[in-house]
Amino acid sequence: MVDLIKKNIKSLQESLFSSIGSAALTIATTYLVINFFRGMLGFALTSDKDWLAVLNNMQLYMVQAYPEEDFIRVWLSVGLTFVLAGLSIGIWRSDDRVKSSQVFNSFFKGGLGVLFFTIIAPTNASYMGNDGSVITEEVFSMDTRLGILIPVAVFCVIFFSVRFTNINFTVNSSDMVFFYLFIPVALLWFIKLPTIQLDQNNERIIPEPLMPIADTTKIPWTIIFVAFLVSYFIGMYLKNIKSIKSTMSLSWFLLPLLIFSWIFKKPQIDMSVVLGSDLPIFGVFLLWGFLVITFVNNSIFKKYYSTYLGATFLLTLVGVFSGLPMLAKTCLLLIALFSVVVPAVSTSSQGKRSLLIVWAVALVTLTFLLRGGASDTGIVVPGSSIFGGFSLTWLLAIFGTYVSFPLGVLLALGRNSKLPIIRIVCTGIIELTRSVPYITWLFFASVTLAVFLPAGVEFNLIVRVLMVTAFFSGAYFAENIRGGLQSIPKGQYEAADAIGMSPFQKISLIIMPQALRAVIPTLVSSAITAFKDSSLVTIIGLFDFLTIGKTVIGNQSIPVNFVGHDRENLIFVAIVYWIFTFTLSRRSMKVEKKLGLGER
Amino acid sequence: MSIIQTKDVKKWFGDFQALKGITMDVAEGEVLVVCGPSGSGKSTFIRCINRLEQHQEGQIIVDGIELTNDLKNIEAIRSEVGMVFQSFNLFPHLTVMQNITLAQIWVRKKNRAESEEKAMELLERVGIPEQAQKFPGQLSGGQQQRVAIARALAMEPKIMLFDEPTSALDPEMIKEVLDVMKELAKSGMTMIVVTHEMGFAKEVADRVMLFDEGMLVEENTPEEFFNNPKSDRTKLFLSQIL
Ligand SMILES: Nc1ncnc2c1ncn2[C@@H]1O[C@H](COP(=O)(O)OP(=O)(O)OP(=O)(O)O)[C@@H](O)[C@H]1O
Ligand SMILES: [Mg+2]
Repeated sequence: MVDLIKKNIKSLQESLFSSIGSAALTIATTYLVINFFRGMLGFALTSDKDWLAVLNNMQLYMVQAYPEEDFIRVWLSVGLTFVLAGLSIGIWRSDDRVKSSQVFNSFFKGGLGVLFFTIIAPTNASYMGNDGSVITEEVFSMDTRLGILIPVAVFCVIFFSVRFTNINFTVNSSDMVFFYLFIPVALLWFIKLPTIQLDQNNERIIPEPLMPIADTTKIPWTIIFVAFLVSYFIGMYLKNIKSIKSTMSLSWFLLPLLIFSWIFKKPQIDMSVVLGSDLPIFGVFLLWGFLVITFVNNSIFKKYYSTYLGATFLLTLVGVFSGLPMLAKTCLLLIALFSVVVPAVSTSSQGKRSLLIVWAVALVTLTFLLRGGASDTGIVVPGSSIFGGFSLTWLLAIFGTYVSFPLGVLLALGRNSKLPIIRIVCTGIIELTRSVPYITWLFFASVTLAVFLPAGVEFNLIVRVLMVTAFFSGAYFAENIRGGLQSIPKGQYEAADAIGMSPFQKISLIIMPQALRAVIPTLVSSAITAFKDSSLVTIIGLFDFLTIGKTVIGNQSIPVNFVGHDRENLIFVAIVYWIFTFTLSRRSMKVEKKLGLGER
Repeated sequence: MSIIQTKDVKKWFGDFQALKGITMDVAEGEVLVVCGPSGSGKSTFIRCINRLEQHQEGQIIVDGIELTNDLKNIEAIRSEVGMVFQSFNLFPHLTVMQNITLAQIWVRKKNRAESEEKAMELLERVGIPEQAQKFPGQLSGGQQQRVAIARALAMEPKIMLFDEPTSALDPEMIKEVLDVMKELAKSGMTMIVVTHEMGFAKEVADRVMLFDEGMLVEENTPEEFFNNPKSDRTKLFLSQIL
């Protein structure tokens, strides 16, 4: 142990003070750095800061003023996401193993983080009393601080020194995800942070010396964690089932749609309507699709296929202008389009089966969305018509990548297409979208878009913003991906052709994987940009994460006066953004490394 | 019975005519070597046979199916005809094993276990079973070309096309690839080989053809071709390369 420290000091000496020149450089740099960060350090060390402005407003940060009685919807969405994530991690469980030293190392670093936050936590908090006087109260006593500092410091030392013993084992890297997630969930039950709650007389309520952090969230989070774990095991169990992977990918794609519709709307589920109209329509069209898929290769049906197509389109046209329910009209249109693609796709029995699954899923989603989306009972958020906060930022970010990424792939392929009409349309969309600033598109969404939509079709402001966002980042993705496509040598296309692959197989199995791999760094930076740019929605009156911190909390004076606490809020917001973008870029580096294997 | 028949095949790249009427046929199990100077249209011709290039006039009939614009015919012919390229064209993002199983799984719709068994069998045949889990980038040129041969064979083709399979290889590696090709020829595979390896032509070819300026100049048995060529063009060609 002592040897080791000596050695470390020696190597430090060698690298920093090896000559007069480098010693001078070291000292000068240190001086500059300290000067540069002096303000920040001062801020961190004084007691003139009030993190309560952040802690007290967590709920506002997360969901803005989303009504509390509907929180269950938010929890369900988060839970569903975690269940899907658990299943996916189980299904795609990697065989990579992590060394114990790495695990200890990250514990050590995590401990250091906790130490840092304990040191900079505020001792006192002030708020305005009834008579307008400022009341200062101790919220984080020296005892509590030491009570946290000492155990954590011991913890850090243990994990630092355990690295030098010969304890050596490896853990599956997928399993580690659960362990890392377990820590924050467990901490929710133990860690307590200062909060201010006032009674009617403006006296502070002191439930315990400190309020347990996120008292209201620990139970949901624990349930979610357990569900996550259970679905992980289910995923491992389901691993070998055929087509499970494509089902999972499809579910991931549909998830945002589903969550979006139920966070937004309270679907009026009127059983008589569901049984009397939705289910029969659903059944008829499912059967219709099934028949088409089954008989498409039948020689008689094949002969009259174009007649059938014409009849269907005619029927659709008549149907749209008749008094049929909205669902039936939409399904008619869908079946007509569906019938066009069936002959091309259902050449094999496998193709037929997946086509049928796609058709069924599309119908279910459509039925659900129309029923939910058509009901007028949206969730009413006091003060504004929509929800905001981190959930809005998150929604925009997910959408910015989830929907726009496939869109980008399609646009890129379209721009490379041999058919001039497709090429021109795709090029047009890309160039038009890219050449106008995002803010302009946001104004377009908030003000102008309604004019362009057919009469009677109306979308919520957030939906309109999502639409322009999808196209905007889709255009950027498309250009990135096109760059990747151009880097694929002609020989790859020829080799795929020569072994008899269909054009679709060639693109999806040979060309796209290589093209995407070539542009991962640019794709990730586009995704990060989309995430950060989502804060621009503030200018059309949406309350995203940043706006809550800067504008809403910065002007809060009841029950506690947080006016002028911009700094704390901005730092918090910056840290949260940083955590997400940094994780994303680190992940992408790992993925790149893993995929880079073939390039060697 | 001839398995490949071409009648007066012509092909233009813009104004430039690369093939000026090629008529020939290949019998089942025959090994045909095509040689000729650079730019004479050898590659263009064999690439027409599996429709990597599209001919504009004439007829190409492979295994009784005529090549037209009908996509079904093209895909049917491509799965009957294996091709090996000068620059290997392995899929760099897939392992050797995946390179070989891909077409079996997606085009032939075989299950994974069956295709992997077949792939191991082929890797053994080309002599590199131990490389199955590596990526193409981790192999030597000769090994890559042998994987490419295994990949083509995995489709169980009736015909194999080779477009200068050894031209991108170092001399020491040429032999290992030629050995695999010789073994393949002995097993009765129908092969068309574009190559400058005259040793290979002498040893295994049933027939040798000489292309020049988009025309088929000479067609002969190897003995006659090398010892007693009919045309002056062949004599000139042989004097340049031997
Ligand atoms: N895609 C193309 N576009 C235009 N011209 C082409 C194209 N491909 C080949 N050519 C021309 O057609 C002629 C025949 O080319 P080909 O590749 O068949 O020759 P080759 O006999 O295989 O020569 P080498 O021994 O150098 O491979 C050449 O003059 C070449 O320039
Ligand atoms: Mg050539």
